[in-house]
Amino acid sequence: MNQFRWFTLNWWILHILAIAFFLYLGHSVHF
Amino acid sequence: MTVRTYIKTMLLVGLVSLSIGGILLHTRIHPIKTNYSNLVPAISCILSILIVPTLFCFRKTIAYGYVLNGFLVIIGTVTMTHFSIAHWPNPATFQSIILTTLLADILILWGKFFIGKSIFDLEFFGYDANREKKGVTYRYPNMGWWFVHLAAVSIIYYIGFMLWR
Repeated sequence: MNQFRWFTLNWWILHILAIAFFLYLGHSVHF
Repeated sequence: MTVRTYIKTMLLVGLVSLSIGGILLHTRIHPIKTNYSNLVPAISCILSILIVPTLFCFRKTIAYGYVLNGFLVIIGTVTMTHFSIAHWPNPATFQSIILTTLLADILILWGKFFIGKSIFDLEFFGYDANREKKGVTYRYPNMGWWFVHLAAVSIIYYIGFMLWR
């Protein structure tokens, strides 16, 4: 896998994980 | 000791001071036992005190420190804005919105962001007084990139809050 494709894969994995985390944060925080 | 090391140390001390102040303030005002949502500032502050300065210490990990510091500030901004809306002043006058919401705390938190950004910029762009600042605003590591991420995190957090109950 060349360096560009590796970066793109990492970019998508990171953003999907981040979206899941912030969705969960919005769901779980109650004030 | 070089000026570079001295300035970096001072900025790191500023970063840790703000974080310790933050964890003490949160522990005093709303302890974890009363609401498990208070785990968010507790964990964020521990990361800010221990992990962020460690990442900032080494040139190889400074970009990770910069991103982690920025995202901790974004999490703080979004959750404190949520808290302010949940405890909106009544009656909502201009003065009460400015003084009784968490606006002051959010502004102090952004002070921490800019200390982190100063450490990153000084390390990456150097200490040359005559060097011109270059780069596209909306691309990493510039401010526009952070505003895009602040907006995106706000929207995703709001969707999680509204749709996933």
